[in-house]
Amino acid sequence: MSLVKKPSFKASWYLIGIFKGMGITFSNMIRNLVKKAGNDKISLAMKTYNYPEEKYEYGPRFKGNHVLTVKKDGSIRCTACMLCATNCPAQCIKITAAESDDNTVEKYPISYEIDILRCVFCGYCEEACPVDAIRMGPEWQTAALNGSDFSYDIKHLAYRAQLKGGIVSRVDEEERHKAGI
Amino acid sequence: MLKCKINGQDVEVAEGSSIIEAFKATGQDIAHYCWHPGLSVAGVCRLCMVEIEGNPRLQIACNTQVQEGMVINNNSDKIKDAVKWGLDFHLINHPLDCPICAQAGECQLQIQYMKFGQYDPEMAERKVKKRKVVDLGPKIVLDTERCILCSRCVRFTDEVSKTNELGIFNRGDHSEIGTVDDRPLDNPYSVNTVDICPVGALTSREFRFQQRVWYLKNETTVCNGCSTGCSTKVYFNEEGMWRVKPDHNDDVNGYWMCDEGRGTPRFVNKDSRLLSAWNGQKDEGQDLEAGAAAKAVGQTLKKVVAEQGSDKVAFVVTGQYTDQENRAFLSLAKDLGVKVYHWVNNPEKMDEFDGLLIRGDKNPNTYGLKEAMKEVGVGSPWSELESSVSDLEYVVVAGPENHFAYSDLTDKVDLFSKANHQVWFVAGDHDVLRAASNKVSLIPTKTYVEKDGTYKNFEGREQRIRRVMTLVPGALSLTEASKLMSGQELLVDGNVSESYRKTNFFSSNERGYL
Ligand code: SF4
Ligand code: SF4
Ligand code: SF4
Ligand code: SF4
Ligand code: FES
Repeated sequence: MSLVKKPSFKASWYLIGIFKGMGITFSNMIRNLVKKAGNDKISLAMKTYNYPEEKYEYGPRFKGNHVLTVKKDGSIRCTACMLCATNCPAQCIKITAAESDDNTVEKYPISYEIDILRCVFCGYCEEACPVDAIRMGPEWQTAALNGSDFSYDIKHLAYRAQLKGGIVSRVDEEERHKAGI
Repeated sequence: MLKCKINGQDVEVAEGSSIIEAFKATGQDIAHYCWHPGLSVAGVCRLCMVEIEGNPRLQIACNTQVQEGMVINNNSDKIKDAVKWGLDFHLINHPLDCPICAQAGECQLQIQYMKFGQYDPEMAERKVKKRKVVDLGPKIVLDTERCILCSRCVRFTDEVSKTNELGIFNRGDHSEIGTVDDRPLDNPYSVNTVDICPVGALTSREFRFQQRVWYLKNETTVCNGCSTGCSTKVYFNEEGMWRVKPDHNDDVNGYWMCDEGRGTPRFVNKDSRLLSAWNGQKDEGQDLEAGAAAKAVGQTLKKVVAEQGSDKVAFVVTGQYTDQENRAFLSLAKDLGVKVYHWVNNPEKMDEFDGLLIRGDKNPNTYGLKEAMKEVGVGSPWSELESSVSDLEYVVVAGPENHFAYSDLTDKVDLFSKANHQVWFVAGDHDVLRAASNKVSLIPTKTYVEKDGTYKNFEGREQRIRRVMTLVPGALSLTEASKLMSGQELLVDGNVSESYRKTNFFSSNERGYL
């Protein structure tokens, strides 16, 4: 939304504001030059990161890159119900379902792709999933070298190195069966 | 006629009608699982509850006849409560595996639950586990846990297909749908049981898991699998056609269709289609634009007729095209003065009929073709072509789109190979054609879901087919091809006359609806 402000008498005194702002900027700069950030807790120096050597770790609730969870045996948890794809406002999830040889599984995804460039990180996919098969994790760096790297496939979503063998889903079919559900 | 009042709306129904029929007549909504208009009444699901004024107890609408002056409603709180409990009982042992259930999105349980349910189940007991993924023959997969024992499928095999395979076995909450010793349910109409099953207990092996139903759009058309011409609905998305279901039409097919007619995606979808025109011989040749190829063929034909006489060219037609196409193609033949031969794919079976729907004539428009040939005044006996083919310069064939019904395709290609050239208007891509020993031109044609027109079925009933989608952009209808061959241009008119073609089906409105 753009607001059009009428020039007022007060606004014509802008120089005062500019000097105030510059004052804050320069005082911070000088303080940072004089004092060192670090061990000393009451240091007045501003904390900055030396990105990319140092990275900020977001909490687990951060809606970053997607993770497909796995079952206890390490196979993919997703049942290919396509609710996430249906719910996705950016329509960036593409799933191809197939019939599984294992009758207790019945249906599973042979391909699951997220076009991360189209994703708006809304988290609706996570909300739609009935079996906790897709989550959004704390990873937030999505840089890649070429276009095709932005289309995340099952291998990347479930088994990328950062996940250390996969995240186990909270919803376990066998346990539910044992409980008589 | 009897007068009654349904939810405050006056309606007149014929004597002997049930209340549920009166509901249907008014277009009012009523829950029902076991009642199906094409089957007998079972009255087992207890979901169609109605309140009749003056009657202290709720009644089921499907098995109660309307009487003069009845005042009926199904929107009171009492009804809602009854339906809610009915649904709860149905769900006691229901697995609720909607995520992996092919029925999800068109499942009556889901629909009723969203309307009347939305409660937490009040059952503390463990669910009774039954058999899942039961192999019920080549076309059907059964999940006995999901079955709500409405008995529609049993009544279908008893009353419609009269094959009596299915039954309900065991008692109480161990009751199961099945066949004796799991014998396959394999009759020519078996997939209808999948359509009428209100839940995901019976699913079609072919369609299962291919697509979520809410991603598909549907459009009514006429089946081109045989000369009965059943009304059908084709389900499609931007990738192609995924399944065919019967559409209700009392005059032709009632509520049913045969299993074979559901196989039309096999020859309609892109992977089996001829995508561009081709000129060549013995597997070597080059691709061309379809329109340009048709024009070139037209010019050559004119030249051949002018220089060597009209008996050097023959046209071959099949009953696979619409009336409009037949007329255009036959008129072209008449203008050129060439002979036209009707290729009958299975002459000995043409008049067969199984008593329900399936006919031996596997062409949708043989009747129309014969009529058009008479009208235009062309047509010569097939034997004549067989004897004279080696003298011919050109054989122009309006080939079949449903090549599965043309088991003699290879024989005919061999026959036409005796002429110097053969030109095929054909929808499918066939290796035998590309491998033919004489010079071949292939020009891609549209299938029945890509064009408008009319078919005349076995009894001459005129039925309209409509353009539903475009799968092969360059393909021509026979009308367009004939125009191009006779030297006319195709006019591209920007006005879309059909309202249903204006919408971009895949952009928004219904997408994602559950
Ligand atoms: S976060 Fe939102 S936009 Fe991204 S894949 Fe999930 S639903 Fe789609
Ligand atoms: S990730 Fe979840 S919602 Fe998406 S298809 Fe798989 S099971 Fe369904
Ligand atoms: S039958 Fe209906 S309610 Fe039952 S699992 Fe299938 S979609 Fe869900
Ligand atoms: S299988 Fe389907 S149609 Fe047959 S009884 Fe069960 S729910 Fe009804
Ligand atoms: S529809 Fe009336 S009892 Fe099932």
